Amino acid sequence: MTDDLHIERKDRILQVSDLPTLPTALEEVSRLVEDPSSSTDQIAKVIAYDQVLSAKILKMVNSPIYGFPGRIGSISHALVLLGFNVIKGVIVSTSVFDTMNKSMAGLWEHSVGCALACAEVAKTARLKDPEEYSVCGLLHDLGKVVAAVQLPDLKTEIDRRVAEDDLTYREAEQLVLGFDHERINAWLADHWHLPLMIREGMSRHHTPLRAQHFPAAACVVHVGDFLVRLFEYGSGGDDNVPELEPKALRLLKIGGAELERTMDALSEKLIDVASVSFA
Amino acid sequence: MLHQSHLLEESPARSDRCLFNPFVRGMLITQDDALAELFHSLAPTERMQWERFVSTVGAMERLFTDPPDILVVDDTLEDGTGARFVNIIKSENVYRKLPVVLCLNRDELQGGLLWNQVEADDFLLKPLDPAETASRISIALNRSVRSLDANPLSNLPGNTSIIQRIQELVDMGREFALLYCDLDHFKSYNDKYGFIRGDEVLMMTSRVIVNTVRSMGLEYSFVGHVGGDDYVCIVPMARAEEACRRIIANFDPILPSFYDPEDRDRGTILAEDRRGEKQNVPLMSISIAVVMNHGGKIRHYGAAAYAASQLKKLAKEKEGSVYVIDQRLS
Repeated sequence: MTDDLHIERKDRILQVSDLPTLPTALEEVSRLVEDPSSSTDQIAKVIAYDQVLSAKILKMVNSPIYGFPGRIGSISHALVLLGFNVIKGVIVSTSVFDTMNKSMAGLWEHSVGCALACAEVAKTARLKDPEEYSVCGLLHDLGKVVAAVQLPDLKTEIDRRVAEDDLTYREAEQLVLGFDHERINAWLADHWHLPLMIREGMSRHHTPLRAQHFPAAACVVHVGDFLVRLFEYGSGGDDNVPELEPKALRLLKIGGAELERTMDALSEKLIDVASVSFA
Repeated sequence: MLHQSHLLEESPARSDRCLFNPFVRGMLITQDDALAELFHSLAPTERMQWERFVSTVGAMERLFTDPPDILVVDDTLEDGTGARFVNIIKSENVYRKLPVVLCLNRDELQGGLLWNQVEADDFLLKPLDPAETASRISIALNRSVRSLDANPLSNLPGNTSIIQRIQELVDMGREFALLYCDLDHFKSYNDKYGFIRGDEVLMMTSRVIVNTVRSMGLEYSFVGHVGGDDYVCIVPMARAEEACRRIIANFDPILPSFYDPEDRDRGTILAEDRRGEKQNVPLMSISIAVVMNHGGKIRHYGAAAYAASQLKKLAKEKEGSVYVIDQRLS
């Protein structure tokens, strides 16, 4: 692929202005912001089920206009700092996917599943602030959504390659786009001034050993992504279980027995959210 | 701007609907008698008085020693001295706040006055219309109070607005609670991390206080930024304690994000204390001193500020984020 084409596609991706979401969380949040008795905690709980709304809120609070770019990685903190007026503004400016295909709904489920898995893995690894790790998990495939919205023709081609040539989604991305969603995540995280830890979780979940600043975040998302695919909760665009990098577990100091316990805890959590419908 | 939305309170009903309240002292520099006449006739003299000069020379010294509330310069003076005069005034920080209005002929606009080089706040086109002139003068006065009093970092209302707001409530004999918030160990943070990151914390604190107070659905409230790490809120007495608790509950969990991971994990930073000795200093916290104006007993803004500063010392002595309420009913 030529450099020009690469740059052109990167620009298209970063020009994303209208990132639509699924109606589920959006309707619930809209209802809450109109109700004067709602608290930011209630809203945070709902937004934490939606990768696009979460990304928008974090993008907003970390924008330089607020004066502390790259500092806020927690949805509940972001909501306190933005306040109801701004939250309302974000909500009313979010549209819904008009053509809802099955793969998008599957991706939302997969993202929520990964967020839950990351929280469990972070707890097992005795890391502080598990919420920040679940945000990493929630956003780990955001690049796939942005690519689908900004480069729809190529998205169709990726899906075709996955179905016909038996490729992983990531291999198909590299073939069709010339880069994968990890790279897109890195671009987005930089462009939106997201905290470095979230950037690493988003952009190194397939290559956790290459994370330079927050290897723990990359390893947690790597393991979380593996687990949620193992449970076949939602869909990341293909039906492969990615390879698990054993060093990631070692780095998190998680042994076999602990991984078992994490999986048990996660299956409980996944049963709890199974009632949440995304399509 | 954030600004007006902080004044959630209804303004007290003004019995007289005059554009100029309180009394305004204007300075006018013009050689045009008709123009001077028009300005003198804008409002009764108990509301507004204009001191007229025919050249910038005499006006300059008067202005430096006893600045007016507003300055109107007729730029049809000889060869653009008007604009030059305005720039001299505006380049001195002490006089920057002074609103300046230029009177121009329409043809001067054709040449394209460079407004980035002429530091006026507004202009009027000759021949002047009395009603429009009065409104423009009034809006220039109000804008200068609103915008130039704002804290340059947070855009929250600054000292002038704070004093004015408190004095208004005091004058009306209203009961209210004055919350005086400041950060503990801010100086150490600033020394270690630098002022740019110090500013980040101040911006975060502004957002926390404003959004917390706003989300409470109070009948009235006001948030001002005294400067540095000092903030003031005015809320109804009955909700003051709740406001303190909520501010602290919102502030404490967010604050650690502003430290580097190793300092956050340790819970302290190595920084110089006030005596210049290296010390382990705790992470920042917020202290709130609350002065209640029970039965409207406070007669003057200064008394409220003094009471708050005394209480602040008490709050500062306690570790962590705390609030201290003055319950003296005397």
